[in-house]
Amino acid sequence: MPRVVIPVRCVKTDMRMPVPDTPTIARRQQIVGALRRIVPDGVIADEAAMRPYECDGLAVYRQIPLVVVLPSTVEQVSAILRYCNANNVKIVPRGAGTSLSGGALPLADAVTIGLGRFNRILEIDWDNRCVVAQPGVTNLAITNAVQHRGFYYAPDPSSQIACSIGGNVAENAGGVHCLKYGLTTNNVLGLQIVLPDGEVVRVGGRHQPEGEGYDLMGLLTGSEGLLGIVTEVTVRILRKPETVRAMLMGFASNEAAGDAVAAIIGAGVVPAGLEMMDRLAIHAAEEFVHAGYPLDVEALLIAELDGPQAEVDYLVERVAAIAARCGAACVRVSASEDERLRFWAGRKAAFPAVGRISPDYLCMDGTIPRRRLAEVLARIRALSEKHGLRVANVFHAGDGNLHPLILFDANRPGELERAEEFGADILRLCVEVGGVLTGEHGVGVEKRDLMPVMFDEVDLEQQQRVKCAFDAGGLLNPGKVFPTLHNCAEMGRLRVSGGQLPFPDLPRF
Amino acid sequence: MGDPLIATDEASARDAIGWAVSEKTPIEIMGGGTKRALGRPIQVARGLSLAGLSGIEDYEPSELVMTAWAGTSLAEIEATLAANGQRLAFEPPDYRALLGGAADGATIGAVFSCNLAGPRRTAAGAARDHLLGIRGVNGRGEIFKAGGRVVKNVTGFDLCKLVAGSFGTLAALTQVTFRVFPIPEAEATVLVIGLLEQDAVAVMIEGAQSPHEVSGAAHLPAGIAALSGVSAVGGAGRAVTALRVEGPAPSVVHRVAALRRCFAPLGEIEVLEAEGSQAFWREVRDVTPFAGDSRLVWRLAVPPAGGAAVVAEVGRRIEAEAILDRGGGCVWLATAQKAEEAAGAVRDAAATVGGSATLIRAPEAVRSHADVFPPLAAGLRDLTARVKRAFDPLGLLNPGRMYAGL
Amino acid sequence: MQTSFTPDQLRDPAITAADEILRKCVHCGFCTATCPTYVLLGDENDSPRGRIYLIKDMLENDRPASDAVTRHVDRCLSCLSCMTTCPSGVNYMHLVDVGRQRIARTGRRSAADRLLRWLLARVLPSPERFRLALLGARMARPFAAFLPGRLKALVKLVPPAARTAILEPRVFPAEGVRRRRVALLAGCVQQVLDAEINAATIRLLTKHGCEVVVAEGAGCCGALAYHLGREEEALAGVRSNVRAWIRERTARGLDAIVINASGCGTMVKDYGFLLRNDPELAPGAAEVSALARDVTEVLAAVGLKAAVAGAGTTVAYHDACSLQHGQGVREAPRLLLQGAGFEVRDVPEGHLCCGSAGTYNILQPELATRLRDRKAANVDGVGADVVAAGNIGCILQLAPAIGRPLVHTVQLLDWATGGPRPRVLDQANWLN
Repeated sequence: MPRVVIPVRCVKTDMRMPVPDTPTIARRQQIVGALRRIVPDGVIADEAAMRPYECDGLAVYRQIPLVVVLPSTVEQVSAILRYCNANNVKIVPRGAGTSLSGGALPLADAVTIGLGRFNRILEIDWDNRCVVAQPGVTNLAITNAVQHRGFYYAPDPSSQIACSIGGNVAENAGGVHCLKYGLTTNNVLGLQIVLPDGEVVRVGGRHQPEGEGYDLMGLLTGSEGLLGIVTEVTVRILRKPETVRAMLMGFASNEAAGDAVAAIIGAGVVPAGLEMMDRLAIHAAEEFVHAGYPLDVEALLIAELDGPQAEVDYLVERVAAIAARCGAACVRVSASEDERLRFWAGRKAAFPAVGRISPDYLCMDGTIPRRRLAEVLARIRALSEKHGLRVANVFHAGDGNLHPLILFDANRPGELERAEEFGADILRLCVEVGGVLTGEHGVGVEKRDLMPVMFDEVDLEQQQRVKCAFDAGGLLNPGKVFPTLHNCAEMGRLRVSGGQLPFPDLPRF
Repeated sequence: MGDPLIATDEASARDAIGWAVSEKTPIEIMGGGTKRALGRPIQVARGLSLAGLSGIEDYEPSELVMTAWAGTSLAEIEATLAANGQRLAFEPPDYRALLGGAADGATIGAVFSCNLAGPRRTAAGAARDHLLGIRGVNGRGEIFKAGGRVVKNVTGFDLCKLVAGSFGTLAALTQVTFRVFPIPEAEATVLVIGLLEQDAVAVMIEGAQSPHEVSGAAHLPAGIAALSGVSAVGGAGRAVTALRVEGPAPSVVHRVAALRRCFAPLGEIEVLEAEGSQAFWREVRDVTPFAGDSRLVWRLAVPPAGGAAVVAEVGRRIEAEAILDRGGGCVWLATAQKAEEAAGAVRDAAATVGGSATLIRAPEAVRSHADVFPPLAAGLRDLTARVKRAFDPLGLLNPGRMYAGL
Repeated sequence: MQTSFTPDQLRDPAITAADEILRKCVHCGFCTATCPTYVLLGDENDSPRGRIYLIKDMLENDRPASDAVTRHVDRCLSCLSCMTTCPSGVNYMHLVDVGRQRIARTGRRSAADRLLRWLLARVLPSPERFRLALLGARMARPFAAFLPGRLKALVKLVPPAARTAILEPRVFPAEGVRRRRVALLAGCVQQVLDAEINAATIRLLTKHGCEVVVAEGAGCCGALAYHLGREEEALAGVRSNVRAWIRERTARGLDAIVINASGCGTMVKDYGFLLRNDPELAPGAAEVSALARDVTEVLAAVGLKAAVAGAGTTVAYHDACSLQHGQGVREAPRLLLQGAGFEVRDVPEGHLCCGSAGTYNILQPELATRLRDRKAANVDGVGADVVAAGNIGCILQLAPAIGRPLVHTVQLLDWATGGPRPRVLDQANWLN
């Protein structure tokens, strides 16, 4: 999805973070000294220079870190983690700092470890169709490095120009092409990880792993920096499709547009991208970029079809026919690459464009089963009236990922709080209809306290026990993802309930 | 082993494991039992069968998602999907003939627990890439869930990935939610006849680097091709290299023509249409050529460009027959030597290109003593044990199935 | 971004401007990835987003510039790559200038640093003083190895030979029918170091029907002093330029003010903003900015004659930051070169600065050299016959580092349309 704007004009002070450990803060000089011995030219301890690290892309939450360290070798990362593990110092990993869920929010008693210096592509392996990169390499830089031979890296989060591949792994980043090409987790082949105790391990490689133990690569992808620090990533690259065309389809109601999405997919067509915008979003985007969107419709679908020319021509015709059957008020097909980019320009600018009609907005990120779309949109409208705030909807219709933008003015007392309540209501609604809290932005601190809406205590404990298997001391990125921090030893205890036996004939040993 | 406990619903599965916990007695988690010969044999007093916990819970074709209870048979799921023009894109294999034994079909829970995939893996991913959500019982006797029922979800740790391919050692899956895809209108397979392994890998790399979306690439040496029931392959008399394309009919026609043009200078070209193509890829998927004998069968996962080199390396040390699947990235080997000797040659060869080898078929006695799965790197052994304990602190679920003592 | 300026602070027009800019920033971080210093150093402080944060903190709290602020703002090239990237329209250029002025007033600098900055601001904008300084520097060249870091960088930058010709105010009539009347900014450093660029520009414009005037009283554009934080010195020059051009326009008419050093072009196009609060000159400055054009913009508008030479020569086109980011001119030079029969190739990482950046290569030699070498490798990797750029700074910076001749875009266009073949092509013997 395109760029996301967050309400940076307001500072949240009531986010509950783990209580800073006073003794750790008291030995700050000692910690700084130790880190300087590990990374002589990469320790930032001056308060003015630490300030730019106080938040990531979600600037609502801010905290000056204990100290910032910028290692440039795997050995340094390992030594830092070994030191912190031995001295009980917390660590917050940071990639490019573009997270929209506060994944890299510092802690007052934690070392922020920035991976910005790990910015080299190590190898392009054309025969095995993969790229080996350091974690600070940007998502787009990978595509840029291989496009001259007709390849690209498929996941394309809106921040792809700036977000790092290591951060993509930590957040399991998505993008508009997920439906057909998958998320980060489906496109990573290998990782080098530094575990919280400093040990350096590799999982996967340049092949599709089979039976090589538990799928730690799959677990680490999307673990939001709680399990280890990624120091090298191997991703697969794909051949660019021969032809790409985009279609605009306008509908008189959200329901009709939703039906068209179901009909397209039901007909066996899997578009490379399938996006939907509601009236407010259409108007804001059109006013900003003049993409040529119809203004007399309630909902707009943008479909992108790719593949061999023969296939794309054929699919465009089928999709147009389906749209017409579903009552599309207008259907337009891009006739040139310029036009295709123009169709997308409006969608990609939808967020900043909405920002122009409102001083602030909150971007939500729930996913719902597509069939509930019309109902969810209607209920969001009702919530909008209840909270007295406007909302614009931009939707990855192909995979059900909804981005409602809640419009508010932070300078009006109480509006931020209302917007946040509205946002929480929307996410609760997503879960209620069978969806999830976050489709691609991550839980971080932003949605942490809503986790119990989706998971019960047993579910969350199971996840936290996995955390304990990696980080028994709870030193890596604490305060993120989980609403309650449990002690690992406490959680490891087995509660055996006697209970009644369902198989009474079984012998007791 | 006594009669297995039969779970008929999620609660009874929980109670059975709860019983095992209270008795501190290990238990074997089973579905249809078709893959019991895969992995290390388990010596336990009791089994828990989930085959009775069956039924499709939720399926709306336009969502491209299905939720089913773990004991639902793969056959039922595939039939239901097919009736709606859909399928499991990762092409789950059927190893009954290869492994011998079981007559009943596989369950969907086991397909995911063993993370099996067929030739389409390069294009569509493995089972793990399609698993969106799970419910299961951990080794504490607790029912837990992870993931969700939607395609795009990053809420919490992705425990689905961890459980996929864990062979029931972390949890007894009770329910799975997974992605499904439309069956393409058409498919066809371009055969290039008479290539040596090395040239075949080059052809498969070129196919994969082309914009023609090749969804299967395999190479069968002459002796193995001759066993095929597909006449164009069985009667070729020489090695066969196969490239599959799928999609709307006009697109398939276009791509077949393009691949034919591309590879015609290298050898004689044949094209398998619909049924022929399907039959051929079923054989590759199920490793049918190795089904009829008792040799050890290995599956090597390697960087695709290294496929031919690995086969040559193994051939320098022991006698082996090889099928190259997934463009060279998956090498099936049948070896006649003693297990230790073969293991050394096969694992060393895989390691030379950074890949790994799994022993897929071997007599129980061999599997009880030799490593079946690729031995874990030193740094991962302790971590793996800790992850296991995070789900199963007493080590009750399928103990030793993957690694001795785990 | 939320700001917290007091009404009192906001009475300062510089703070009002900074406040407006800061409020547009949403902290998305897109700018980090295209910032050359972040790419080299990987520190948020050395990215636009980090500098915005540092400057905001300094301004809001009325703090004197800390060493951290000074260090990291000094490292900024003002290449404005961030402004091309920014989706929210944050005017980083204006903000960093406010920051620089505050640093110049309140920051602590060593005596040597202050002296060097004073020297640069005094010498470079004056062609006469610069020419004398060059003589001295050329004599010092053999001793460069013995000089301390930045002085060494300065001396080493001086080309071994320069073709100086300082343009006096005069009019160059159009050939044939006069289609446009344009003023040419004669420039300061450029005409001392390479008079060929102005000569080629004048030939090119006059043969395409433009009357070219070098206006009496117009001098250095002021960019060098301004970006060193010396606002008053710079604005004095800006005012005399505005007066000179407005006088010329009123007296004899002007269709455009042509600039062939894009660093100066970015500055002149910003005169309207710089003098926005000047009661006397604000309208004139806005008018000057509206008339300002890069030479390639003017040529693209009048259209190029049929080419007679150079066809088939491959040209690696180097985007000067001031042209691509500062002025948003990317297509015109490429299309002109293509239209003249050259085969134009793009340079990978074209958005990254070559390290020249005004006086940056003198003040920050270490970073500038790393950027230069990276750029040189990218340029050479393209494998073209010749490299074209629209800014004297880039030309000086890159020429010694790349393995092929480097000329100003106008020199190739002039050659193609009947002008002399650029001498550097023959000297280097790269073309037959």
